Amino acid sequence: MSVDYANLDRSKPPVVMKSKDVKFPAYFEDKLHNGIKVFVIEDDKLPLISVKFVIKTGTYDDLAFGEDSSGLASLTSDLLVKGTDKMNAVEVAEIIDFHGASISGGCEYDATYLSLTSLKKYFTGLFDIVSDLLMNPAFLDEEVEREKQQIANSLLSCLDEGSFLAERGFKKNVYENSPYKLNIEGKISSVNIFQRKNIKEFFDKFYLPGNLIIAIVGDIKSSDAISLIKSKFDGWKKKSVYDRTIYKKDSLTKTKVFAIEKKGAVQSEVLLGHLGFDRKNPDYFPVVAMNTLLGGYFTSRINKNLREINGYTYGARSYFNFRKHSGDFCVETSVENSLTYNAIKEIISELDKIKNEYVTVEELESVKNYLTGSYPLQLETPNAIANKIINLELYGIEKDFYDTFISKINAVTLEDIRNVSEKYLHPGNLVISIAGKVEIIKETMEQIAQVDVLNNIEEL
Amino acid sequence: MDIKEFELPNGMKVIMSKRSELPIMSMNMTFYVGSKDEEENKTGIAHLLEHLMFEGSPNTGKGEFDEILNNNGGDSNAYTSWDMTGYYLVLPSTKLELGLWLDSDRLTGFGISEESFKVQQSVVLEEKLQTQDNVPYGSLEEESSGRLFKTSGYRWPVIGFKDNIENLKLSDAEDFFNRFYKPNNAVLSIVGDIDYSETEKLVTKYYGGIERGEKIPRKKFTDGYLIKENSSTIISDVQLPGKFMFYLIPKIGSREYYEMQILNKIFTAGESSKLYNEMVYNSQMANEAESMIYGMEHISIFFVNLIARKGVKVEELEMKFDDILERIKNGNISDEEIQKAKNKLETGYFAKFSSSVFLSEKLSEYKTLFGNYESLINEINMYESINRNNIINISNKYLNKNQRVNLSYLPKE
Repeated sequence: MSVDYANLDRSKPPVVMKSKDVKFPAYFEDKLHNGIKVFVIEDDKLPLISVKFVIKTGTYDDLAFGEDSSGLASLTSDLLVKGTDKMNAVEVAEIIDFHGASISGGCEYDATYLSLTSLKKYFTGLFDIVSDLLMNPAFLDEEVEREKQQIANSLLSCLDEGSFLAERGFKKNVYENSPYKLNIEGKISSVNIFQRKNIKEFFDKFYLPGNLIIAIVGDIKSSDAISLIKSKFDGWKKKSVYDRTIYKKDSLTKTKVFAIEKKGAVQSEVLLGHLGFDRKNPDYFPVVAMNTLLGGYFTSRINKNLREINGYTYGARSYFNFRKHSGDFCVETSVENSLTYNAIKEIISELDKIKNEYVTVEELESVKNYLTGSYPLQLETPNAIANKIINLELYGIEKDFYDTFISKINAVTLEDIRNVSEKYLHPGNLVISIAGKVEIIKETMEQIAQVDVLNNIEEL
Repeated sequence: MDIKEFELPNGMKVIMSKRSELPIMSMNMTFYVGSKDEEENKTGIAHLLEHLMFEGSPNTGKGEFDEILNNNGGDSNAYTSWDMTGYYLVLPSTKLELGLWLDSDRLTGFGISEESFKVQQSVVLEEKLQTQDNVPYGSLEEESSGRLFKTSGYRWPVIGFKDNIENLKLSDAEDFFNRFYKPNNAVLSIVGDIDYSETEKLVTKYYGGIERGEKIPRKKFTDGYLIKENSSTIISDVQLPGKFMFYLIPKIGSREYYEMQILNKIFTAGESSKLYNEMVYNSQMANEAESMIYGMEHISIFFVNLIARKGVKVEELEMKFDDILERIKNGNISDEEIQKAKNKLETGYFAKFSSSVFLSEKLSEYKTLFGNYESLINEINMYESINRNNIINISNKYLNKNQRVNLSYLPKE
């Protein structure tokens, strides 16, 4: 091959073609007579199959059992893998591990998960076991006690982590009424009092066919996957689904600063922001574009300012947590103790700027190119695709969401960005939560607002 | 696996793998240089240079690399290890040439300003605070490396010592760049929706004219296995006491290294594993009990991580762990347990091929360390012939008390 290297012009980027269109992969969906929603995604690239069971319950429902029930949803989900009447926890672990598979259970605010990944050749037998774990968990007293000890110790070690401390201070003060204020794993005092009957009560109330989504992904035919699901779940009796309590909307009227002492801190962990909104909000697309520009990707304003210009931090980012019934907006960073005030001041100035001024055409173009160009990367693995489909069902999002993602991002205008930043960002009414050295935080942050010191953070 | 490779006259090795399900591509450029190649008073330069490589090159100014990439729907990142430095970028596959232009320009010359250097020096110091100094048990790498190694460049942490990082100069970065960032010291892997002959043509266009560097002299590896236990207690701001054991084991890719992989799975894979079952589940002494292997070019590390439940002493964790290990050494291990470990490794093997970013990284890594990518594909066969006796032998050969670093972290007061 002869190449004229000497005349290669490196001074300008080569002209390249627009990216090719990508279609959201086809999938199969069905609904069983008892209300179970089923999805199958066929993908034979690797000889693996996964199943995800998603139950529409989570930490949000802790409050249905009273103010002191924080952690109940999480404890219940942790115990799913700890045996059935037919098979104890050790036997379950042994058979799953022997086949090289893995299972996990856990919960978030609006959803509870149980999942299995295995080699294709062992899938059917293991699916049977995991289905039983979901429908007939034993919740033995012995396992409940064991798990409670484990959680209490994990909560203790969380106190060593600045990000945990800052998040507690933030959530607790952003959401005053709603269960989104709770720590998913609960607090030591609440977890300590749970008994088998509380767990059973939670399970009976929320683990219902009408609340269940099953997604099977991998090297399996959809017809085989459906028969497999029907053979196990058709007999699960339908029960009416409990209506969730909707809590009063919380709102802030001024900026508040909270400081939490982290022993031996050499950095401040900063989390600041305020309430956002739920996942179904019609402004979703302009908000995603606005946030990407503000703090959602590497070349965003906030990361550029704090990391690339000032060298204050390894990284800074902003994001909206879109929940089912509400949501929040936050900016997150870690900075050396003495830089805390400077970094926060820069963040607030970025929030003020985007709220009060138009962004540039170039900035918006870059964000659109980034979001649409990197979109196919999110479709690389069958598991990632499954999570996207599950979210449609979980949050009640329009079916064409993924097919229209690119065109809706491309349709966002400068005016839209202006409107949503004006509407949804409130730099004058922030919760600023900082875990670090309280003395240093107090000294400098009093310039912004009075500093409230939070103690006993493990009980928030 | 659909894979093709070629080598440019300047010594740069290129691996391509075509997958056309999605219109994307991942590039990974790995240089055969890591923290072990640093001078002892300039630790941290390999990693700091990794940060600087995004800050400008002869034809891109400060910040432009990521701006151009993001503006085209792309992303990038990089990592530094003891032995290697890897850079990846992803882009829509129609923009392959843009990726090659961006990446190759970094090899045509050093284009970093003093200002960029200062900023990234602070960023790295913050990174060290965030990922190590402000994290419970976060000083483990620093505490262990100097005890495990005495003479080689493995004896300092990859990120470097704070004092050294603070005193590094722009000229140190340029020297390091000039020594190691040469096409004959690099492997480029490209995975995605690509055409082989077109890609070969473009790679040749952008990298072919870059001059080969001189043969890089490598330091002889001078560290050996430990012969005396090195124990220490560290008083720290932690709630729960921790016990951490480090054993040196054979280098990555050796037969004994794969034997250790099986033993590691027996210790740590799933809730039926020895460590979880005996230390967390049955005795409830530990809140976390797991092990892992750090595969390295000359000698590797087997690491055991035990966090106590409140009220349990580190001495009790140590006794329990030693007891589990002793039983394995005495042959108390079944063929079924060996099979279980192999099954876990079989499932895990496929994970390497699930994402194009990860696959391109692995192809570059294997080519750099072993001189061929086939060992990545054939790795799974390495385990077949390993049996119970091998596992008993290897545990007796490398996992003895006098061969370990034994660290305890205790809460203050």
